[in-house]
Amino acid sequence: MNSTATGSKKAHRRRAFSRADRTTLSAFVGVPLFFHLLLVWVPAFLTIVLSFTYWSGISISRIKFAGLANYKNIFFDTPAFWEAIQNNIIWLAWFAGIATPLGILLAYQIDRQIRGHKFYETAYYLPVVLSLAVTGIIWNFLLRPDGFVNGLLGRDIDNAISFFGNYHINIYVILTIASWRHIGYIMLLYLAGLKSVDMALREAASLDGATEWQTFKKVIFPAMKPVNVIVIVITIIESLRAFDIVYIIYGSSAGFPILGTLVFQNIAGEGASMKGAAYAVILFVLSIGPIIAYLRTTFKSDVQ
Amino acid sequence: MSEVTNGISRRSVLKGAAVGGLGLAAGGSLLAGCGSKATGPLAYGARSVDAGPTAQNKALIAAYTAKTKNEVKYNATESNAFQNNLSQYLQGTPDDTFEWMAGYRMQFFAEQGLLADLTDVWGAIGDQYADSYKIASTGLDGKQYFVPKSWYPWGMHFRKSMFKDLGLSADTVTNWDEFLKMLDGMKKKGLVGFAAGDKGGWEAMGTFDILNARINGYQFHVDLLAGREKWTDAKVLDVFTHWAQLIPYMNPNVLDLEWDGAMQLLLQKKAGSMLMGSWFGGNFKEQSQADYDDLSIIPFPEINPEHGRDTVDAPIDGWCVAANGTNNSGGSDFLKFAGDMEGVNATLAAKDANGALIPMTSANNGQDTSTYDAFQKEQMAVMDEAKYITQFLDRDTRPDFAGPVVGPAIQSWFKNPKDVNKIVDSLQAQWDALPPLA
Repeated sequence: MNSTATGSKKAHRRRAFSRADRTTLSAFVGVPLFFHLLLVWVPAFLTIVLSFTYWSGISISRIKFAGLANYKNIFFDTPAFWEAIQNNIIWLAWFAGIATPLGILLAYQIDRQIRGHKFYETAYYLPVVLSLAVTGIIWNFLLRPDGFVNGLLGRDIDNAISFFGNYHINIYVILTIASWRHIGYIMLLYLAGLKSVDMALREAASLDGATEWQTFKKVIFPAMKPVNVIVIVITIIESLRAFDIVYIIYGSSAGFPILGTLVFQNIAGEGASMKGAAYAVILFVLSIGPIIAYLRTTFKSDVQ
Repeated sequence: MSEVTNGISRRSVLKGAAVGGLGLAAGGSLLAGCGSKATGPLAYGARSVDAGPTAQNKALIAAYTAKTKNEVKYNATESNAFQNNLSQYLQGTPDDTFEWMAGYRMQFFAEQGLLADLTDVWGAIGDQYADSYKIASTGLDGKQYFVPKSWYPWGMHFRKSMFKDLGLSADTVTNWDEFLKMLDGMKKKGLVGFAAGDKGGWEAMGTFDILNARINGYQFHVDLLAGREKWTDAKVLDVFTHWAQLIPYMNPNVLDLEWDGAMQLLLQKKAGSMLMGSWFGGNFKEQSQADYDDLSIIPFPEINPEHGRDTVDAPIDGWCVAANGTNNSGGSDFLKFAGDMEGVNATLAAKDANGALIPMTSANNGQDTSTYDAFQKEQMAVMDEAKYITQFLDRDTRPDFAGPVVGPAIQSWFKNPKDVNKIVDSLQAQWDALPPLA
């Protein structure tokens, strides 16, 4: 039964595509695929290979096989790694628990066309237009010891509030900055999704006497499944790949270790070692693992 | 100068550390040594975009072009970015001559064959330099790969006017007790005693260097950095114990300030003293001549009478020629000029935005020390008192250890000084985990 279904599908496809179609199609698929493999998967594969070597990045003939030494070094001897993991986890928890829900809430309110919704939409979307690097520069200018905020408070550098240096608060400062942009990003994605939800669904729900919250939870949220998947994936990726803001503010020092800066710190400059490649592989596994798992379960249930 | 003999002993120490690399180093100089004919245009890579050094470089290049008619293309990169990209830069299409640092950091790249042999340059201008500079410019294979430009000592900087107000003078701050008393007096006046910044991760290495040298001596310090002594040694813990005594006198936002933030504290008279390299004299001079005249330096106080004040961090900056550059002989020719007193004079004649001369202590022994200003004479005195010269922690040990390991370790010590045992354990573990040298 199953095989005949596929068979007829194939036959159908063969008939549908002319020779020209097939040429065009293979060009359109083949060329991007070639570049994708060349620019994404070949370097990714090479990074994995390099993470099992000792190499300073200078003249390939000096490369030496290291086995698991880089990983052993990272897991057992490098306290900065665990600090970074902790920071990335807090980052993810903050994004998943605070920033993303806030973005969804904003999108929902704006979609309901609350008073001044156009203004809010623009105001919250504005930071998304800026690159993360620019975001970092702006906030660094505002919050550094000789920056705008400390100036406004009349504090000189010797008694300035240590927004970036005090490790009790700096993660929340950084996360607030990152959220400033993330909220607008999620809001925009969700807003686009909400616009496509059939109005009839809402009307039916309200006719049935559902409250606002019930309507959102039971009707709109499930209807938004494709957008929800994207939002979840983006939240995970953005939290793990975080780099730009931290690098702009702290440079390549370990002032605020996260996985992204550890990769850079160990692969750039004179101190280059393939420990940096090992960090990149760890980051890669951490990012791709949950995402593949999530997408698989989602699409599996879709097929069913 | 007094550096000579000690420079040799230090150099041999470092040679011992990296002896495994010797065999592979030989291929390095094949591209170089094309003779001294000045040929065609060349490119100059500056590792600074600041006004002072740029003015100096432009003056030097103008003098060279006027003399030889060789065009020089000037490429400037911000120093952190320059350092981060250096490996790629040297393996790609680098400028013919570029600014770099002496010692281990130069030897590392010479060993990889990325620097051109400058033995012929040293043949031409070598007699203008003390032996210690030649040693600091020499790779592990015994050839020269570096031409020194200038040096500066690390020491305690303060403002003469503030010292006077506090009833202090240079000879009342010679040992640890007097030093703590000084800091206490400053604190009572509401000042930051010991201005410090470590946001960049390297600034506080200077404090570690000097405390270790004062407490445990030069030999222990270089042995530690070469891996022949252990970070878990009680002697290293002693360094951190002394360092912790300074924390109450530091600004509370050490991890929020870079070196220039700490300098601002001294410039704005909010701090009484600062341990730093004297290079920032130019920044004071840019502020005003009066601020510059007020600036003063003394050696870091004695802690262990056995070692007195016998060691100083005095990094040497200068130039190399990139082996992969298109015009090696042009690069060498340029450095022959730059290192010669003629070039040094052109550099010294450079003026800052206010039209004042930019202060520089040249490595060339032709610079008349009687023309030194008061601050430069004090720098000279700091150097003269020292028997042993070190470069700086991140120039004296492996690059894959200094930046990615020691920097973060000191930063985490600032976060929680009580963790010192954990921190030295991890420093040693990370040293032990380093790959064998090439």
